[in-house]
This record gives sequence, structure tokens and C-alpha cells, in this order.
Amino acid sequence: MSYFDILYFLVFVPIVVIVYNIFPKKIRPLILCIASLVFYLFYSKFLIVFLLLSILSIYLSGRWMSSLDKKKEMALEQAKKEEKKEIKEKVQKKKRWILLGTILFNVAFLFFFKYLGFFTRVTNQLLQVAHVDVCFKIIKCAAPIGISFYTLQAISYLVDVYHEKFVAEKKFFKVMLYLSFFPTIVEGPITRFQEVSSTIYEGVRVSYHNFCFGYQRILLGLFKKIVIADRLNIFVKSTFDNFSIYSGMTLACSAIFYTILLYMEFSGTMDVVIGTAEIFGIQLPENFRQPFFSKNISEFWSRWHITLGTWFKDYVFYPVSLSKPVKKITTFIKQKKGIRLSSLVMGAIALFAVWSLNGLWHGAGYHFLFFGYYHFTLILLGNIFEPTIAKICEKLKIDRKKKGYHAFQIVKTSILVFIGELFFRANTLHEGFGMMKKILTDFSWKDFGELFTIGLDIKDYFLLGISLLVILGISILREKKVSIREKIASKPIYLRWSIYYLLILAIIIFGAYGTGYVPVAPIYADF
Amino acid sequence: MEKLLEILEELQPDVDFEKCENLVDGRYLDSLTILSLISEIEDAFDVQIPTVEIIPANFNSAKKIWELIERLQEE
Repeated sequence: MSYFDILYFLVFVPIVVIVYNIFPKKIRPLILCIASLVFYLFYSKFLIVFLLLSILSIYLSGRWMSSLDKKKEMALEQAKKEEKKEIKEKVQKKKRWILLGTILFNVAFLFFFKYLGFFTRVTNQLLQVAHVDVCFKIIKCAAPIGISFYTLQAISYLVDVYHEKFVAEKKFFKVMLYLSFFPTIVEGPITRFQEVSSTIYEGVRVSYHNFCFGYQRILLGLFKKIVIADRLNIFVKSTFDNFSIYSGMTLACSAIFYTILLYMEFSGTMDVVIGTAEIFGIQLPENFRQPFFSKNISEFWSRWHITLGTWFKDYVFYPVSLSKPVKKITTFIKQKKGIRLSSLVMGAIALFAVWSLNGLWHGAGYHFLFFGYYHFTLILLGNIFEPTIAKICEKLKIDRKKKGYHAFQIVKTSILVFIGELFFRANTLHEGFGMMKKILTDFSWKDFGELFTIGLDIKDYFLLGISLLVILGISILREKKVSIREKIASKPIYLRWSIYYLLILAIIIFGAYGTGYVPVAPIYADF
Repeated sequence: MEKLLEILEELQPDVDFEKCENLVDGRYLDSLTILSLISEIEDAFDVQIPTVEIIPANFNSAKKIWELIERLQEE
């Protein structure tokens, strides 16, 4: 049962809503917890055991660390001034071991299910290069759904308890709900405990307002996925799987189409996810903020998959850049070459760690690592050359605040993103380079006709154009901070419902389903 | 506070640090500038800023940054 199944939004969610509303306020979070476990069982069957083990480990370690903090506070009240430092250090050391042990326990599952195959393959390749006649068997097994997402959430919970940002939750089912909440378990957003705990345990009754607003958002998600992403799927699949028979022009379009498909699929899923949570009065963080209005790659990543970016910023970027070894290096550079270079080096080391992990997080494969390092290089170059670009613009009297310059930056950033996504989608790194080579050496406008022979005809292009214009319009309004839903809600009932019916009809009539179409599988669920 | 304002103005001359109250949320300070700022603050005020303190609420205005420095100095 995916978020785009009729079973999900027309059966599962309404049943949960009814049961949820029947029970009193206090019991409602428990209902959500049970619904989440049922949902997970549908998806991952017996693999739910691994999710439960993770939840149990997080719960117990969290409680242990918080009880140590409590004991520490009591001991500090009675201790003399000179003893305080020792007490703090002793507790911190113990907590550090608990934290590390639990993180390792959880990451071990992630490694086993996601990376063992890849690293066995890499080891076999290295052994072959070294002429060692040993070949390890590659173990293949299905991973528990959402393992990459809930593991990151689990780590954030633990680290935050370790830093005493909050006291670990006492009720087991509440930790279970936080980590397994059915709308977020498959593809995120990666939430933080403090951010969702204010609404997720509230148990507010499903109101007419929340129900309508939630389903509006779900409808938008369905539109993005079924009308746009699924329509582009055959073209993208055919061209990426058999790139050698297509022209450079078709492949360039394929990279653009895949980027649109990915954005529509993932942001559409987020609309369904956030909309579902909204029905229950739960506020989830946004994962996208009009990424294709970004003026550089760094900004793009602060607008695309936002919760993953902020997770890496908080739990990798800052801890690495402010770690003792990095500080030693940068202090030395600062004394010799000044603060700008030392900050650049500090940032570069941390960014390298972030993008190595980011690439690997997306998947176990060389092309994913390349995808990570590609963005690392672009962001680093952006940081290094920013002052030079500013000087050049000043000399050439180019006003960087003008709309024309912004448009140029947006186009440049989009092209760089398309290239990155080409490697991201390519079946292997080798094929990614093969596609790039064809785009650069075999590009001709004469091959324009080929675009109409790969699962998309003129009607499809027309529909895609109109649909994307609708999405662009919504994005522009959002960028201007206009609340479209509030505006619709303020209209008379006949107009309001006409808009809803129009959207439903658009999905039913123009949706790319049935013969001739292959729906996009949940892309981020595989990560 | 004056010393802090001097550091901030040197790092980001275009921003009015006395008035601005959304330095992080408004993207006036990016991650790299925050790293430079932390490095400068640690040197100038003899404090250690732990990663757990690097949250927008502590860096959104010069006043908030100053409060953080004072708190860390007391600790």
C-alpha cells in the first residue's frame, strides 16, 4: 500500500480518522501508533522486527541517559565547587558510550540491509585488482521500508537527549509513534522530536477544516504524481535503460524530464504525507521550498529535501567542522593565512564528510557517491570563487541584484542540477558518463522528432506543459508567501468546491494510468 | 557588544546588525559565515561554542549572539 494507492487515501486514512475520532483525546495518539504499525506490517511484513528493535534501543538508551542527567543534577546540588567538573565529566563519559553503542547498533542494521552488498562488491573488485583469488558471496535481502529515514530520526533523538535538549520520553508508545508515524515512515520528512512532539501527542479531534485542508494537499500531491510524474516515466525509463540508441538531444531532455519527474514524485509524496498529518492536526516540516528558484547549488540544497539537509548540517557539518582535529588544522591556517582560508578549509572538510554520507545515504553505488562529490565540488567552488565573481561583476558593472542576473543564476543552477540528476538516475556511473558524452557530442536539433516516439505524443506534451504551468503558478505564489489554500477557503462554497472537483476531475481524466503507462515506483522509499 | 558588532560587520558588511533579527532565517548568515563567526568569537571572547548551541535562535540577531557569549562566559 503506497501513499498513492486508492486503498491508502480512500480506505486506510478514512478508517483511521473514524477510529481516531471515536476514542477520547488521551487514547488518540495510541490509535495513531497502532495504525502506524498496521501500515508498516502491510509494507514490510516480518521486517517490522527491525523497526521495533530500533525503537526499543532508542527508548531504553534515551531513558538511561536522562536518568543519568537527573542523578547528575542531584549530585551537583550537593557537591563542592571543585567536585562539580569531575561529576559532569564522569556522567558525560558514560552517556557518550551509551550514545555511541546505540548509534552503532542502529547503523549496523542500516549497513547490513543497504550497504553490505555494495561493500562486498567493492572488496571483491579490490581483491581482483590485487590478484587475490578470493571472492565473497554478495548477500541480497529486502530492507525494512524507510530504514534510512527512521535511522536518521533515531540518531537525532538520541543525540538531542545526549545534549540535554529535552528529557527522554517516558512512554514507550510515544517514542514508537514518533519513529513509526505512518505518513512519514516511508519517505520522510525526517522530523525532530521537539518539532513534532507538540502536535503529534495532542490527539486533537479531526475537524472539518483540518480534514478539508489535509485532503486539498493530498489532491495536489496526487496531481503532481499521477498527471506529471507517471506521464514522464516511460520516456525516462526507456531512455535511461537504452541510452545508446537515442540521440544527444533526447538524452538531454531525458535528464530534464527525470529531474521534473523526481521533483513531482517526491514533492507530491510530501504533499500526501503532510496533508495526511494535517488531517490529524499534526504539523510536519516542509521538505521543499521552490528549489528551482535557487540562485546557486548551495541555496538549491537549502530548498530541496530540506529535512535531510538540516539533519546533515546539525549532526555532521557543525560537529565535524568544530571537532578538535579540524580546529587544530584551521587554527594553524588562520595564524598563517587568515580567517577566510581557515573558514574555507574548515567548511571544505565538513562538506566533504556531509556529501560523502549524503551520496551514500541515497544509495549504495558509485554513481550515488559521484552525485555527492559532484555537489560537494560545486558548493566548494561556489564558496571559493564567490569574492572573485563579486569583483568581476563590479568591474563589468553588472548589478547582481537585478532580475536579469537572477534569471541567469536560476538557469545556470538548473542546468547543474539536471547534470547531477542524470548521474543520480543512471544505472551505473559508466552509463552516466556515456550519456553525458552523447549529449555533448551527438546533439542536434534535427533529432527533435525523436521526442515524440518514446511514449509521449503531442497531447502528452501539451498536458505536461499546462500542468507544469499550474505548478509554476502555485510555486510563484508560494515564493511570494501567498497562502493559496487560505485564499481558496475564503471563497464562496460553490467556487471552493468547483476548484476541488476540477482538480479531482483533472486527476481522473488526465492522470497517466492504465494501458501504455507505468506508474513511478516510490523513488525515495528505496533510499 | 561593540566588539561583536565589529566582527559581524567585517564578515558581512552589507547587513545592519543592530536591527536585523533574522540573520539565520533570512539567510544573511550562511553555514560558512557562521563557522567564521564562531572562530572569531572563540578567539575574541575566550569561549568555546558547543555544536548544540548552533541553532538559529542563538544566531538570529547580534543581541542573541551576545546573550550566548555572556551565558558561555558565565559557565
